[in-house]
Amino acid sequence: MGAFLISRLLSALVVMLGVVCLVFLLIHLVPGDPVDVMLGESARPADREALRTRLGLDQPMAIQLGHYFKGLAVLDLGVSLHAKQPVAELLAARIPATLELALAAISCALLIAIPLGIVAAVKRGGAWDWGAMGFSMLGVSIPNFWLGPMLILCFSLWLGWTPVSGREGTASLILPAVTLGTAFAAILARMVRSSLLEVLGEDFVRTARAKGVDEPRVIWRHAMRNAWLPVVTLLGLQFGALLGGAVVTEVVFDWPGIGSLMIEAIQTRDYPLVQGCVLFISLAYLLVNTLTDILYGLIDPRIRDGAGA
Amino acid sequence: MKRWSHAILPTLLLLLTACGEPADRILRMGLASAPLNLDPRYTVDATAERINRLLYQRLIEFDARSMPTPGIADWQRLTSRHYRIRLNARAGPFMHGRRVDADDVIATYRYVLDPDKVSPRRTTLTLIESISKVDALTVDFHLSRTDPLFPAYLTLDILPADLLAKSHDFARLPVGSGPFVLHAWPEPGKLLLQRRNDRQLIELLEVKNPTVRVLKLLRGEIDLLQNDLSPELIGYLASKSSIELQRRFGSNYTYIGFNLQDPHTGDPRVRRAIAHAIDRQAIIDRVMAGAARRAEALFPPEHWLGSGQLTAHGYDPATARRLLSEAGFGAGNPLRLVYKTSSDPYRIRLATIIQSQLKAVGIEVDLRSYDWGTLFGDIKAGNFQLYSLSWVGLRTPDSFRYIFASDSLPPMGANRGRYANSLVDDLLRRAEAAGALPKQAVLYQRIQQQLHEDLPYVSLWYEGQVSAQGERVRGYRLMADGNYDGLAQVSLYQTEEPQDARSAVAH
Repeated sequence: MGAFLISRLLSALVVMLGVVCLVFLLIHLVPGDPVDVMLGESARPADREALRTRLGLDQPMAIQLGHYFKGLAVLDLGVSLHAKQPVAELLAARIPATLELALAAISCALLIAIPLGIVAAVKRGGAWDWGAMGFSMLGVSIPNFWLGPMLILCFSLWLGWTPVSGREGTASLILPAVTLGTAFAAILARMVRSSLLEVLGEDFVRTARAKGVDEPRVIWRHAMRNAWLPVVTLLGLQFGALLGGAVVTEVVFDWPGIGSLMIEAIQTRDYPLVQGCVLFISLAYLLVNTLTDILYGLIDPRIRDGAGA
Repeated sequence: MKRWSHAILPTLLLLLTACGEPADRILRMGLASAPLNLDPRYTVDATAERINRLLYQRLIEFDARSMPTPGIADWQRLTSRHYRIRLNARAGPFMHGRRVDADDVIATYRYVLDPDKVSPRRTTLTLIESISKVDALTVDFHLSRTDPLFPAYLTLDILPADLLAKSHDFARLPVGSGPFVLHAWPEPGKLLLQRRNDRQLIELLEVKNPTVRVLKLLRGEIDLLQNDLSPELIGYLASKSSIELQRRFGSNYTYIGFNLQDPHTGDPRVRRAIAHAIDRQAIIDRVMAGAARRAEALFPPEHWLGSGQLTAHGYDPATARRLLSEAGFGAGNPLRLVYKTSSDPYRIRLATIIQSQLKAVGIEVDLRSYDWGTLFGDIKAGNFQLYSLSWVGLRTPDSFRYIFASDSLPPMGANRGRYANSLVDDLLRRAEAAGALPKQAVLYQRIQQQLHEDLPYVSLWYEGQVSAQGERVRGYRLMADGNYDGLAQVSLYQTEEPQDARSAVAH
């Protein structure tokens, strides 16, 4: 397990370095100039050049990248060009909200998807299956920019149960979590159903039933245990994506997360902030994927043994 | 123990005071975007400037005709290059107690003029050669050249000299002499201002999505919102009895810009054809729900330069087709143009309608929308045929040089379409050299006329201002340029107030 972990962490580090270099190059290649955004169009060329020099933007890209890596080595992500605050501080202010929403959305999705997927698989072809797959189709098809305002209209305006938007207390978390969780639950429910259907046809399930094991135990202890792998893969991917920020949902609900921060940074060509956001997002992805790999090993010892061999 | 209690108790009291303000006594205003930085020396976004107007005071203000009027100072023109500014009774105390004086004015202007400080405010002030103190309330400005409009450039927010000397962080902790102070900035997107005369708290809350902003207003989570609403949302709010809508004419100028170095859009017949092919009034009436008025020039008719005498390029598809035919385009050889606009859904919708109107006269338009950075980069580089944008907050006619002079190509200015007319250049020189405003006005009007004929821009409309407020709000006055000055007078209706009093205020 130790060697498995070390190899995962080393490959994660290489990926991170690659991401930092790629983002650095891409953001500098995109048209648009942070100096324009900071000084406005009416600034004199001499003032532009002075600011460019002050920000270090006049130096060759390799040197700028070198400075960035030098800062990274001491965990200095630089200073936002517009907010004039350290990037690390700006990120730290948004990370709790992002984590909160991601965890709530995943919990919401799991609460909906697992019972729905199991019922759909067990009652295959019946009304429950049709209902569950109908929900799944709807969940995937409804975009968040429509579902969010509809939920607000219903639960905030008409029923008055939740605030419209913002991050003030637990009640304000419900609608964004449901909006994000619904689409994810729809995909997850399909995945649970198909995995479970596959496993339910296996010999060991038939054997368990022949031995007289009651049906809930067959489903939960024997079948689901073997159906978890693809579900965990999907969970890992989705959780990583959620940590990267759910931009549309964050905008609809004014949720102060990483996604909306990154969009603002891109629009204003705030290079250090964009890089900081991307770094956080890739780190989150890698962390979640590494955790997923470790979970694989725990769920299925064959994977762990294979990696260790 | 005693020392401990001395330190802790005042802190606790302060916290209790800050937290103890009943939520329903706070007036909340929803904003489409919130500022990241409130340092008036460096802000360039409209929201930050509007908030800074509440926190700081300026030497001059503008009247309804955009003529400079005294703010916290009166001015006197001693010679054509020497102006004397004297602070008047409106100059208030800074929030740390001291009244604005000549040292503050000098420190603020010197800071911005220092090339090493790289302030975006410096450009319009570079004609200032020196600043000197006459007495505690009087400052002399010496100019490097004549400009009768000089007082109109004195719009900097005045900062306290003592804090400037200490490199105070004005970006996060503004200290001004305006009608408000920053009470708290608990998180990005939420600012709490306190009115100095009655301690009324006003929360400015960022709510990016316009639909959500409207829903928050309807639910009472915000009390007031202003602009950045689609016509559908304005119509929806108008149908709600609990909401009071205010509208007024605005001065933000929307236009279509041409690349005059392009073989197609460089042809004046093509530009005139496009001007005649667009039915602006129909767009204003049916798409913008009347929330705009047709424009013929950069400045609206009420501006002291006026533009009322210009003959409109009216909607006339037959003339448009004839002009295109004269330019060599027709059914067998349609004119094909690329039209660039922003990624804002409302702008894309307006551009799509213009695309359809141009198609009706035989112009095939390829509409492309980009994020702001890319669009602006392309426009500055001259990488376009047609684009549409708006000018916001134009007040002084030095804009003509900045936008239309042949030597104002980006990055020296905003002549993005590469317009060059020696007559306009000459008129600009003569206007700038004119010693008196009436003479300047005549020359600038001739420039407007020439631009109207040459059509480097097709003027579309001046977008109107709209605000919506809930039942608690009293006395909010919507301003023509969309600033938030109305917050200085606004009040909240208290439930214990007699009903007849409420009606009286409302009317």
